[in-house]
This record gives sequence, structure tokens and C-alpha cells, in this order.
Amino acid sequence: MDLTRRKLLKMGMLSVCGTMIPLGALEIFKPEALASSLVHPYSQKKRWAFVVDTTKCVGCGMCVKTCKLENEIPFDAEVQRTWIERYVLTKKGDVLIDSPHGDRYGFTKNDPEGHDLKDEDTLKGFFVPKLCNHCEKPSCVQVCPVGATYKTDDGVVLVDRKWCIGCGYCITNCPYFARFFHPVFNTAEKCTFCYHRISKGLKSACVDACAFGVRKIGMLNDPDSEVFKIITTQRTAVLKPEFGNEPHVFYLGLDHIVR
Amino acid sequence: MNHAWRPLILIVGLAAVLLTVRMFLVPSDFMAKNGDYKYQWHRVGNEKFWRDEFTVKHKGREFCKQCHEDKIELVADSGHARVQCENCHVMFNPEKKGHPVDLKADFGYLLDIGIDRSRELCKRCHSKLPYRPKEFTSLTKGIKPFNMIDPQEHNPGEECVDCHDVHRTGFK
Amino acid sequence: MDLGHVHGELWTVKTLFTYPNEYIYWTIHIVIYPFITGLVAGAFVLSSLYHVFGKDELRPVAKFSLVFSLALLFIAPTPLLFHLLQPQRAINTMLTPHFYSAIAAFNLVYLGYMAIVISEIWFAYREYIVQQSQSRTGVFKLIYSALTLGSTDISEATLKTDHKIVKILAAIGIPAACMLHGYVGFIFGSVKTVPLWKTPLMPFIFLISAVISGVSICIVTYIIGMKLSKIIVDNETVQSMCKALKWFLVVAFVLEAIDLVFHAYLAEESWDILSDVLFERFGFRMFVVQWGFGMILPLILLTIPGIKTLRAFIAGALVLMGVFMMRWDVVIGGQSMSRSLAGFLDYHMPILPTSFEAFKEGLSAVIILLSAPFVLLYLLNLLFPVFQGQRLVKREPEKS
Repeated sequence: MDLTRRKLLKMGMLSVCGTMIPLGALEIFKPEALASSLVHPYSQKKRWAFVVDTTKCVGCGMCVKTCKLENEIPFDAEVQRTWIERYVLTKKGDVLIDSPHGDRYGFTKNDPEGHDLKDEDTLKGFFVPKLCNHCEKPSCVQVCPVGATYKTDDGVVLVDRKWCIGCGYCITNCPYFARFFHPVFNTAEKCTFCYHRISKGLKSACVDACAFGVRKIGMLNDPDSEVFKIITTQRTAVLKPEFGNEPHVFYLGLDHIVR
Repeated sequence: MNHAWRPLILIVGLAAVLLTVRMFLVPSDFMAKNGDYKYQWHRVGNEKFWRDEFTVKHKGREFCKQCHEDKIELVADSGHARVQCENCHVMFNPEKKGHPVDLKADFGYLLDIGIDRSRELCKRCHSKLPYRPKEFTSLTKGIKPFNMIDPQEHNPGEECVDCHDVHRTGFK
Repeated sequence: MDLGHVHGELWTVKTLFTYPNEYIYWTIHIVIYPFITGLVAGAFVLSSLYHVFGKDELRPVAKFSLVFSLALLFIAPTPLLFHLLQPQRAINTMLTPHFYSAIAAFNLVYLGYMAIVISEIWFAYREYIVQQSQSRTGVFKLIYSALTLGSTDISEATLKTDHKIVKILAAIGIPAACMLHGYVGFIFGSVKTVPLWKTPLMPFIFLISAVISGVSICIVTYIIGMKLSKIIVDNETVQSMCKALKWFLVVAFVLEAIDLVFHAYLAEESWDILSDVLFERFGFRMFVVQWGFGMILPLILLTIPGIKTLRAFIAGALVLMGVFMMRWDVVIGGQSMSRSLAGFLDYHMPILPTSFEAFKEGLSAVIILLSAPFVLLYLLNLLFPVFQGQRLVKREPEKS
């Protein structure tokens, strides 16, 4: 008799839990869904991708400024959807990295990390623009407890400002720190590739703002797009591939000191 | 009825109430799109917000061309051909804004337009840094040396626009 | 409204290169949350030791730890509400749970566990509830009558059933308690971007430290409760609790040490900066306060034979402090190294409530949250006397 009661209690709890789980959650039990393709799958998919040619970047920060204004991130707030990092290798062998104010005011002095460097003290240096990598397997989306962030059919990762609870789990799970809390809406915020622009045939605001041709956006499967041409003919790299997110911002001229 | 069942009935009842309430509170368009519960579990209506409702603010040269065709042509022929009007003329500092026509009321243009004559603006690209690319490769006319100056030595205190015509990229 | 204000700026100090958006986003409440949840799990396991394994010497604290576990359980999610930037939307986790997220299952684990604890309390106190509903008057009569759930049968046979069910629930409760807290460990262990957290040992480290903190708080609160109500402390009970604490302490220490050794020996890319955080920035806190005073010293105190009340109290208090420090070192320490592996972030908890955010994320909120379980225990004690039915040996009033 005790056993049946215990059974019933268990069944009751199970059915309560069970009804709360949407059917889609059971996907985890499908082995073929788990078997990820071992070869990198950029190819036929109608999907947005981004190319950053770091060899051309001068660090003027016009893209950062434009992005902040286009996307309504309060200009003075120390958070940004895109930013530029400066890497300088000195003759002493130090690697100096900085990104003051995300470079929204531009790099105008040779003062990485506040060191006043003479020109002859630097061996090499370059700028690396960063933005959300719109991963194929975004860990930030995976960990959202409420489904407030998601990947669109064309591969862009967005945040639902009306549904986000502000727990910060997605921010913690982004290897690139592309996410932050919006100072006004108090919800998770990130680069959208300017989804409102690219869906209308425009280019992302940062791409338009770059006079040096550093940034390019296009469809992965569109043979006419510059993105397709670069990815299929040149040697590109992605940031932090070891996390398994399959980032879709491709870099030209990346260096091993880039973080 | 055995008393021992009562807490269980209470718990199951509460759970049933919770589940019923939940049915009413979940937005009707909340779903796992394409059956992808891992990455596409969301309120589908939100896509529309980012795609359509979010306003385009930087409207590019075509917008400015409506009145400033002369300037657009001048720039298009200069070294600044790739530089958007909005790069220099959209002000993040509202004190510097100023445009003879109320762009917001008349054109629905939401950004602050103005003229920034400060050296700081020009320095963003033209201040000399040893690791800045020495050549400018984005012009259709071919590769050109990129003009950089040392702001400490290059006429400190003067405004760049006193000598330089930035639209023509030449001297005044 | 100050539009330039960013969440995280108030308490984060950055040095060297950190990403521009990088702040300490998980702050003091994420320290308190696993701490309180750990106390819940530990207190419940302690009560189960009596109910399931028949450790009779734990009888005086069995009911106490059970009710205390409930008081803590009620408070456990409040730090999370303080932490959320949109607490009014917390309900969304139940409306549209995304079970790929480690934290989405929180509601199920939490509510399921709460159902077990409340049911167990109901069965354990049913006889008392029925008696009270018949003898009390006024509001209390109403409350107790409602609590009987309409069943006033306290015959020998039904009480026997009650005992059996309590035993069953206590048995189910042990894996449930382990899940509740092992799960909290999983929330951290599954964050792949934070090298300090990313270890499969995390659930076990959290679980064992939960048990030691739960047992400790029972020792401490039991002794204080006895002193306050002027009842003689049952030395056998204390000794039994101390014995449990001692063995779990050893396991906890071993687990934490293994974790550190593996990080050091594997020496992955992040180890350079991680070791800097652990040995320099958190060196004193971790090795002296957390390990030295929080584990080794209590272990020595507990190993020396002939434990008396005072020694047990000191050891328990030290372990509690040590476990709180451990939560701090894990949560804050993990975020103290920049994800760029080239810089540091230091956390300065707001002390004075100079703004709403400084209040919400600062010392004031901590004091409120950490004292709330005791207030709740006091209130619950009015309904379910935790020390009822034990050897009430009143102290002789001292003669002046």
C-alpha cells in the first residue's frame, strides 16, 4: 500500500513536470540532432555573415560612434555593441591592449594602456574591430532560461526586450562579451547586424560608416557578395573557435596575440 | 478517504491551477520555430520589432543629396569619397548640433546634424600612429598614401578647416 | 535619469585589458543564493539522518532542522529576485521555460523540493496540528483548522501511517536535496567561458559544501536556541552532528583540493591569469580564510576528542564563514579574471545605500537576506514548535 502511494506521488510529480516541458525539449533525446556536423558547414545556407579586414582598420572608431547612435545605446554609457581593440607589441616585448571607451572617440595618440610610447618603441600594432559573432551554435541562446534570445532563420541572434528577465546568464556565457545590459531598458543587449537595415537591403550602420572597407556584411550563399568571395578565396580566421560556437564573423589578418 | 492523500491532492491541484494560468499567460506566438527548441524558442512577433519597427537612423548620402547635391558631388570626386556625410556631421554631442531645417519634423530624420570643426574629429583618422596602415586602398582610383600628421607638430592650436577644404580634400 | 549609467559600473574596477562590456555581472546575490540553498540542503539531510537512518541521538534536532530547512527554502529564491534586472518577469521562467538552459529547471526543482519538505512537515506535525485546532482559540484556531486539511483523525493507526510517510518523504528528500544543490553547482560548472567554474567536479563541490554548511548552521542555531530557551544542550546530539560535520569536511576539502590541482596541472591557456587570481588576488581569502579558518581549523577542533558545546559552536561558526567565503571566491573569483585573459576585474560591494542600485546590490540587501531565514524560523516556530517533545530539562534558576 505504501508502495502505491509512493508511486502515485512520483507519477504526480512526473506528470506535473512533464506537462510543463514543451515537446521541443525532447529533441535532446534524438541522437541525430546531437550529432553535429564535424566539418564546418558554411556553404549553402541563406545566412548572414560578416567579414572584418583588420589590415585596413585605422581605429578611427566611426563605426562605434555610428553604431551607438543608430542602435540607441546611450552614447556616454560604457557599453557598446561593437568596439575596436588596439594591440601593440613594444620593443621590450610587452603586449599592450586597450580599447578606451570602446574607441567611440577614436584612437588619436600612441598611448596604449596609458603608456606614452615613442613611435620607435613599437614593433607592430594593429586594430581589431569586434562585434557579436552571430554564432551558428550561440551559447548565449542555449542558456537563456525563458527563450528571450534566439537565432533567426537567417542566422542573426536577437534579444526580446519584452521577455528578457535580466538574469545575465547569456552575458556570462558569451565568450566574446558581446552582450551587456542596456542602460535604459535593463535587458540583455547585443549587436543585431543592424537587422532593421539588412532586412531592407541596406548595409549595417558600421559597414556604411567605415571609409576604409574594413567591414563587410553579406549572405554566405550569395556568390556576388564580397563576404562570399573573401571566405571562399582567402584565409580567414574566427575568434575563439575552441568554444564550439561556430562564430560567423570572419577575420583577415588576425594575430596570435588577439584575445 | 485516507488523510494521507490530502497533501498530494492539494499539490496536484495547485499544479493544475498553475498550468491553467500558464496557458493564458504565454503569448500565442511563442514557439520553437522550425522545431528548433534549442536556438529558436522565442516570441516570433519579436522578429518583426527588430526587422520593421526599429527605425533606420543613418540614411546615407542619398538623404543629404536632396538638398546638398553640390557637396555630395564635390566629395564624390575627392579623397573622402568613401566617407559618409553622417560620419562627420552626425553629432553625439547635442550642444554642437544645428541645422537650418528641422530634420526631425520635416523629414523624420532622428539624428542630430551639425558641424564639428574641432581637430579631434580629423585626428580620428589623420593623427599619425606608427601602426596605422600607410596606404589607403579603398578608393576606386587606386592605392594612395594615407595622409597622417603629428598633431603635436602640425600647426597646433589651429583648426584644420582653416587651411583644408575637407569636402574637396585640398587646400582652401 | 542618468543615461550614462551602466549595470556593473558601480562595483567593478578594471585593470589592464578587459573587454569594454565586461563587468562583474553576477554579484553578491549570486554568492548568497548558493549559500542559502546549500543551507537548505544541508539542514534537510541532517533531519533525514534521523528519520531515515534512525540516528536516535539526532532526534532533538530532527524537527528543528526540518522546519529551519523550510524557512531557508522560502528565502532561497529571493536573492535571485534581487539579482534580476526585471524581477517582475521572473514568472517567465515558468511560462516559457527553455530547458536547454541550466537555470530553467530551477522552478521545477525548487517547487518539487518544497512540496516534499512541506508534506513532510505536515505529516510530522499532524498530530500536533489536530490537537491545537481543537484546543486553541481565535486566529490560531483558524490557522490550525485550515492546516488539518479537514482530517482530524489521530488514531493510533493513522499516526503510524504518518510516521511511515515521513520516513518515505525523508528518503525521497535526500536525493531531492542533493539534486537541488548539485544542480546549483551545475549552473556554474556548465558556464564554458569561466575557467574557474568549468569543471565536472562543481556539482559535487557545491553539494558537499552545502552539507557542511547545513550541518554547521544547525549546530550553531541549535546551541543558540537551547541557550535562549534555557534548555540544557544535549551533548550527544551535538557530538553526533559534529561527527557528521567532520567527515563531510574531509570530503569537501579533498574535492576542492583536487579541483585546484587539476587546474594547475593541466595548465591550460587560462592558468597563467587564473593562478594570478587565486594566489595573488584571492590568496589570503582563499587559502587562509576559506581553507585555513574555514576547513582545517574546524577539522582540528572537531578531531580533538571530548567535544563540548563551546568547541562545537566555534567549529560550526567557522565552517559557516568558510563556506560563505568559498561561495564568494567561486562566484566573484571566477569573474575576477577577464575573459580576455589579459586583465582583472575587482569587485567592491556597495556598502552605503546611496542609491537604489547601491541598496539593492549592497550590504543592506545582504543583511536583510541573511537575517530573513531567522525571522521566518521564529514565525514558523510559533506554528510548529521545533523543540517540542524532547527532554525538557529546565535549568535550575540561579540563587542570588
